[in-house]
Amino acid sequence: MSIADLLLMGLRNLFRRKARTILTIIGVVIGTVSIVVMISVGIGVNESFDAMIMQNGSMTVIDVSSNAWEEDESGNYTNVKQKLNQDVLNQLKELDHVKAVTPYIVDYSMQITSGSYSLGGGIAAIDMDCYEEFGYPPLADGTYPNAENASGKFIFGTDVEKTLYDWSGMRMKTKELDPEHDKLELTCMQYENNSPKPFSYKLNPMDFVDMMQTESSFDGMYNIFVDLEFYRGIMQKYANTLKLSDRKKVMNSLENYDSIKLNVDNLNNVKEVQEKLKEMGLRSDSNMQYIQPMKDVANILQMVLGAIGAIAMLVSAINIANTMIMSIYERTREIGIMKVLGCKVSDIRMLFLFEAGMMGLIGGIVGIILSYAASIGINSVGGSFLLDAFGSGVGMSVGEGMAGDAPLSVIPIWLPLFGAGFAMFVGLVSGFFPALKATRISAIEAMKSAE
Amino acid sequence: MGKPVIEVKKARKVYVMGEERINAVNGVSFTIDRGEFCCLLGTSGSGKSTLLNLMAGIEKLTSGDILIMGESIRDMSENRLAKFRQENLGFVFQAYNLIGSMTAVENVELPLVFKHMGASQRRKRAIAILKKVGLTKRMYHKPKEMSGGQQQRVGIARAFVAKPAIVFADEPTGNLDTRTTAEVMELIKSMAIKHHQTVVMVTHDVSLAGYADKIIRVLDGNIQSIEINENPVNPGQSAGSETYEKPEE
Repeated sequence: MSIADLLLMGLRNLFRRKARTILTIIGVVIGTVSIVVMISVGIGVNESFDAMIMQNGSMTVIDVSSNAWEEDESGNYTNVKQKLNQDVLNQLKELDHVKAVTPYIVDYSMQITSGSYSLGGGIAAIDMDCYEEFGYPPLADGTYPNAENASGKFIFGTDVEKTLYDWSGMRMKTKELDPEHDKLELTCMQYENNSPKPFSYKLNPMDFVDMMQTESSFDGMYNIFVDLEFYRGIMQKYANTLKLSDRKKVMNSLENYDSIKLNVDNLNNVKEVQEKLKEMGLRSDSNMQYIQPMKDVANILQMVLGAIGAIAMLVSAINIANTMIMSIYERTREIGIMKVLGCKVSDIRMLFLFEAGMMGLIGGIVGIILSYAASIGINSVGGSFLLDAFGSGVGMSVGEGMAGDAPLSVIPIWLPLFGAGFAMFVGLVSGFFPALKATRISAIEAMKSAE
Repeated sequence: MGKPVIEVKKARKVYVMGEERINAVNGVSFTIDRGEFCCLLGTSGSGKSTLLNLMAGIEKLTSGDILIMGESIRDMSENRLAKFRQENLGFVFQAYNLIGSMTAVENVELPLVFKHMGASQRRKRAIAILKKVGLTKRMYHKPKEMSGGQQQRVGIARAFVAKPAIVFADEPTGNLDTRTTAEVMELIKSMAIKHHQTVVMVTHDVSLAGYADKIIRVLDGNIQSIEINENPVNPGQSAGSETYEKPEE
């Protein structure tokens, strides 16, 4: 038989049993809709997470602070001091999945000044080797300094306000920072009241570097970064100008870090690393730990939809097989006649496979059209649903990032093709054994003079 | 007459039913020549239908061999057999065996469809042969809308449309009344004569044997006698049938 004749005969057979064909196709439609919607929600949720991660660049960062908060059973928080010295730092560097570790000291008492003017914002001292590993935006001009040439460099976070304030007079005065013309100094004021004269350090305007502006937000965008060793040097010089008791405090603060930041190689390992830290007796924080519950809920949602889809598709596969077997029983005689008249076994097999595949394909196409409608429906109510689900339990900033403009159900261009293809595949698979059965029907059936 | 078109050599068919072995065809041998109208005559259960099925390759031989046009059908694969039927064999059945969802012309086209003939060419041939069997006005009717005689004429058109060398007919008039029987017999015979085709007909009706050139009597799986009919009934001779181009009923 030629292909055209085969198609014609197959379609005619499907049309002949309209009601049964339509019912079988409805089964495929339901299966396809469930699977396509499931996948589209999965994609939508993932895209939302991706968008959120793009907006907040430091998803993989874990923060271990010397000043941690612990929540007890009744939901009250108590302050816990953690000792973060060089030993702890070295231990953390040994952990699996940890890409980079750095002490992170934010000093608000150290300021860039020009005469009576001073710049807002804190100085953050970190390990200069870690810039790239922590995913900070690239510099506007040149590359990040390394351990050798980092000393004295001031790297401005993207959102540092470059305004100098003068608080000394009756009225506050401001002026824009102008590194070319301002005589800038680094002034330490921690023990200002006890100190004989303010300690300051002359700055070279050539050492001021800006980060490139980015869309995303990240930890430290309001800080001015300096090298940890450089910071230590300044602090030691400063300590030498202080009274003995104050000097001891400063030296102590240099040995025990304010906080340590870890960057984990992969989003999915953050939880694991935090659990390891817990075993080590360290409390830690990460953005990921707030997002994790949302991801868990999204995963459960996807699994439920996936299970419904899989069951619906399985039922429709059984349905197709059943319809085909019924049809073979009805057409036993017809198949026998065809064989006697010289129809090849392969043609008979193709005919039945075509009929089964066609029911799958038609169901798949109708299912995809309905999936688009379902997707639009989900997106019109889905955003608020997700905000309700997550927003209450999680910080609103995260919930908003999730439910804001990102649609819950996204159907990429390949999905309809995949859906229709899959439905047809299910049809072919379920038609396989009935088709085999049809080919085994003996031509003798045709010779029997029943009726 | 040259080489026989069908050679049956010690053909045996044994059915095993539980403990019992039934010899449906008991090692028979005979030949049928090209252009011959051969009648297998026997009562029901005599094994004549089984013999026909063996010759058509529908049932497998237990032992012996059957050559059709010099080719053994014993070891032919399913596909080879299908191709062989497309090219050489036509069938007329007692129960007509038309496909109910198809019109007369589509039913007649079917063997040509399996032969991959183009749509317009096969339609032309189907229409031409339906005109010959006198069904000009019933071409686009479905089997249900036709009388038994008309249905069998569609069946005959279908058997002859691919111009096969041999046409097998299994009780072709079994479901028809006497008058229609004569019409159908005339039709088969005249069509076969026109293209010098061989017909093998199975029947229990002794009166139909008169149409045959060779009558093979079958009893209990054995051949009782082979008789050459010197004076067969030829088209136009039988009573009640002036012409096979009967007016539409």
